Amino acid sequence: MSDTYPRLVQLLVKNFGFETDEVTPEDTFSKLELDSLALVELTLTVQQEFGIELSDDDLGADDTLGQAVKVIESKPVVA
Amino acid sequence: MAAGRAAVVCGLGTHLPSRVVTNEDLARELDTSDEWIRSRTGIGQRHIAEEGIATSDLAVEAGGRALKSAETDAVDTVIVATSTPDHTCPATAPTVAARLGLGTVPAFDVAAMCTGFLYGLAVGGGLIAAGTADSVLVIGAETYSSILDPEDRSTRAIFGDGAGAVVLRAGEPEEPGALGPVILGSDGTGSELIRIPSGGSRDPIRAEHIERADPYFRMAGTRVFRNAVERMVDASREAVSRVGWTLDDIEVFVAHQANVRIMNAVADQMRLPRSRFPVHLDRVGNTAAASIPLALADAVTTGALRPGQRTAIAGFGGGLTWGAATLTWPDVTPV
Repeated sequence: MSDTYPRLVQLLVKNFGFETDEVTPEDTFSKLELDSLALVELTLTVQQEFGIELSDDDLGADDTLGQAVKVIESKPVVA
Repeated sequence: MAAGRAAVVCGLGTHLPSRVVTNEDLARELDTSDEWIRSRTGIGQRHIAEEGIATSDLAVEAGGRALKSAETDAVDTVIVATSTPDHTCPATAPTVAARLGLGTVPAFDVAAMCTGFLYGLAVGGGLIAAGTADSVLVIGAETYSSILDPEDRSTRAIFGDGAGAVVLRAGEPEEPGALGPVILGSDGTGSELIRIPSGGSRDPIRAEHIERADPYFRMAGTRVFRNAVERMVDASREAVSRVGWTLDDIEVFVAHQANVRIMNAVADQMRLPRSRFPVHLDRVGNTAAASIPLALADAVTTGALRPGQRTAIAGFGGGLTWGAATLTWPDVTPV
């Protein structure tokens, strides 16, 4: 079982003030009220945490956390 | 840095217009709020020049104070970093030099928007290293209020007016205040992200189609954000490694005061405590080319930056342009 989802949730908890049980894989970023600036911040943090490279639109406001996990897992580790 | 002459910071001066515009003031005329501006930028207020005050007026004040701080009344060269010059041409620096009583010294502008001060330091430092000059006054000065769209709540929330200046003198690479290599870069493929669309030779403002012209400053904030973080981090890493430091050796990191969330992201990406990044923009907003010397002076005044501390400075701006440098902070009293 991949640990990508819990690691992503940890980033949301640590950097954006969410509680672990406050989010589900079905939540979209816009439902979590992450605005465009917050999505850029999350993109940078995810790159650092997972050692991958993301393009500007890999994490979109209408994506769910579950979809984001798939995007993260599809990227080769570069760092 | 290679043996030879170094450029050493020996004076620091600043000037802010007295008129303060708070977030509440903006909220009275635009669809915005103190909470919206603070949460997205960290800015609480900015200083705005009175009608009729130009960039050279601010530059003369800050430049004069830097000379006083350096306990000198003469320099060999004057560089003004600005993207809001008094006129499209000529450059603003000769006016500033003349009004400072510096005679017929070489004087020119550097246009690198918010990275202008770092570009100015690099050029001034290079003139000293080459033996062309023994002392250089580098001034970052801006009146962004003169180019902002009165209806644009995002840029009006961010930008403020002000000026800051340093005096560089020839010295030794190992002494406090000696600038390390200034790491600069640019990426013109992103030139449309931060610009004034009309009024230059690409789209001159002419009477017959004046209604199509856009003479105001425009910025694609979200796309700029990521570029700013990544470029400042990369340039800072290189600047630090060029002087044999590690990132953790940076005791104080004075970043261009664009947005506190950019500064926090830079700190996080470098895995440095955010407490090493002094914040000045809460009181002055983003003052573009003036922001780094203004933030340096504020950090010295508040005690956040002390003589002997290993210091990094970094900036990012339109062009796109970016830069970073290091120095051990000298015993300089800002005026």
